[in-house]
Amino acid sequence: MSDVADATTPITSRHDPRYEVVMYRHVGIDGAWTLDYYRGHGGYASARKALTTMTPAQVIDEVKASKLRGRGGAGFPTGVKWSFMPPVDGRQRLLVVNADESEPGSFKDRYIMEDDPHQLIEGIIIGCYAIQATKAFIYIRGEYGLGYRRLVQAVEEARAAGILGKNALGSDVEVDITVHRGAGAYICGEETALMNSLEGLRGNPRLKPPFPAQAGVYGLPTTINNVTTMTSVVHIIERGADWFASMGTEDSKGTKLYQISGTVVRPGVYELPMGATFRELIYDLAGGPKGEAKGFFPGGSSTPPFPWRDEFLDMPMDYGTLANSGSMLGTGGVIVIPKEKDIVDAMYNVVRFYAHESCGKCTPCREGISTWLPKMYQKLLAGLGTREDLDLMEDMVRNTRGTAFCPLADACAMPVQASFKWFRDEYEYLVDHGTPMYTKNDWWEA
Amino acid sequence: MVELETVPPFFADKQELLDEILGRYPEYGRRSAVMPLLREVQHAERYVSEARLAEIGEIVGMHATEVKGVMSFYSEYHGEPVGTYHLQVCSTLSCSLAGSDELYDYLVEKLGIVNGEVDAEGRFSLQKVECLGSCGSGPVIQVNDTYYERVSRSRCDALIEALSRDEVPEPWRARGGDNEGADKADFLMHTVAAGEGETR
Ligand SMILES: Cc1cc2nc3c(=O)[nH]c(=O)nc-3n(C[C@H](O)[C@H](O)[C@H](O)COP(=O)(O)O)c2cc1C
Ligand code: FES
Repeated sequence: MSDVADATTPITSRHDPRYEVVMYRHVGIDGAWTLDYYRGHGGYASARKALTTMTPAQVIDEVKASKLRGRGGAGFPTGVKWSFMPPVDGRQRLLVVNADESEPGSFKDRYIMEDDPHQLIEGIIIGCYAIQATKAFIYIRGEYGLGYRRLVQAVEEARAAGILGKNALGSDVEVDITVHRGAGAYICGEETALMNSLEGLRGNPRLKPPFPAQAGVYGLPTTINNVTTMTSVVHIIERGADWFASMGTEDSKGTKLYQISGTVVRPGVYELPMGATFRELIYDLAGGPKGEAKGFFPGGSSTPPFPWRDEFLDMPMDYGTLANSGSMLGTGGVIVIPKEKDIVDAMYNVVRFYAHESCGKCTPCREGISTWLPKMYQKLLAGLGTREDLDLMEDMVRNTRGTAFCPLADACAMPVQASFKWFRDEYEYLVDHGTPMYTKNDWWEA
Repeated sequence: MVELETVPPFFADKQELLDEILGRYPEYGRRSAVMPLLREVQHAERYVSEARLAEIGEIVGMHATEVKGVMSFYSEYHGEPVGTYHLQVCSTLSCSLAGSDELYDYLVEKLGIVNGEVDAEGRFSLQKVECLGSCGSGPVIQVNDTYYERVSRSRCDALIEALSRDEVPEPWRARGGDNEGADKADFLMHTVAAGEGETR
């Protein structure tokens, strides 16, 4: 808590003395992206510890014991995923870091790559060592130009300093990193689509099985993890699994980077122990909603939204609680919806996103999500919808659930279903009156 | 077609760059270089022509049509030239709640072009894009490879005016925070070290 936030530091939980900032401790500090800075602040001690005092199996056991779950959205236990890698058989093994971060409402990975790229590199060294891979790819979304340049620079610095290379950190372990830049496609965050994209194919998802550990990029044993999964590992190794597992709830341990956007006073990224409540994030840290709010997406636009009620605001932000309540923790990107934003309009925006990002490979997603669902919303918003249309739309999304090739279609269908569940009155008002219940359309600052 | 044959290959005088890009991937993964190669061409020529598709295909061992298939999958490669300043406005939900719809309409009026168009001088082009990972600091315009965040009406004017004079302002980087009022937003501006703005 040394450097007190002033108005030029980014908004993080550094403002709140109750929480120790771990993964975001260097974010917002000028020059923190250099090797000198990182090493000057204890950087690479964790990787050195792993490489010199632990075996790969011990690293995996430590990560298992920490109960870290993947931060990319699905929450799969990381240590378990690592143990799926086949026995070493002389084939090249790969680690792929998923830095495609394109889920609306998510922006936590970005600032790590821009401001603290060495933290990610350190996590990669540990991860590569654990799964005995000598090569890692970072797949960063194309739009993150600054993040790309900072990462490339950091990799070069680390190579020149012998941190990466044939003898990483002076050990006999080889680790090298290639930063691969995407070019604008949300679906490339889905791990099998990412593998295709990385191989120079169109970013369509692949059938599973085989899972990446069996046949991943170039058909080689591959492990794919999110950026902040890898940076969590740095601190787990440094401070021990017990430290990590001492925070959080029964099924969700450690700290997590929550993001908040939409109409709140201080949108931003806040690092909190898992299981903090939405109320803490929204009110204590983000300063509360601007004006009246009527609902929120709990973890990115793919997660079914909740209405603005105490029972949801007081819910702990962990994997199990959210799954049991009919939504998901997702990426932990809360989006606050103000009362004056018509829900049909808001959901059309969400649907349009998935319609645009559908890869067109399978019929339910291409025809349902990408073609007819946005047309139905357009019809409603043009004032031409009927009550039967509402039933038809609900029927459509219900039938889409579980039928598509990859989860992208469900990622759209589930929030739409939830919007019907909680806000059907706004849909009905629109079809009955021909105009939306809420018509405010100037959200822009002078 | 005559023209196609007379264009010198893009990478002919860029052997070092080419080697560096190909060297990032294993020999058996040569076609992985297709995306970085497309990006080089897009960056330098503002679009990827048929001739370039064929050239890239030859380098990585793909048919030109396959390269086109890859290219057309992504929103950052273009088959027609974009403007000198390609304005990409995020239109997804969080930005929409920060005014990106009005921002887009304003740009349409101001520049006289709509989504997908280039102005008569080839200076500006406009593209509506999806979430850029600036949701806490919207609305955001990505100009070529640089983000300008929390673009208020007055900042939008300032940005367009500067670009009209071919002055590229330092990137505005804001990371969430109290976004009530553009003045405060200016105060929160975070400037990225010089020279980092505009490269591939
Ligand atoms: C449509 C779709 C988009 C996704 N986008 C991302 C993404 O941008 N970043 C990410 O880390 N995971 C994303 N995922 C999840 C990945 O498929 C994968 O589960 C994750 O990268 C695994 O890493 P983890 O175990 O560390 O969470 C996406 C999944 C789907 C279905
Ligand atoms: S919604 Fe615009 S950057 Fe995420």
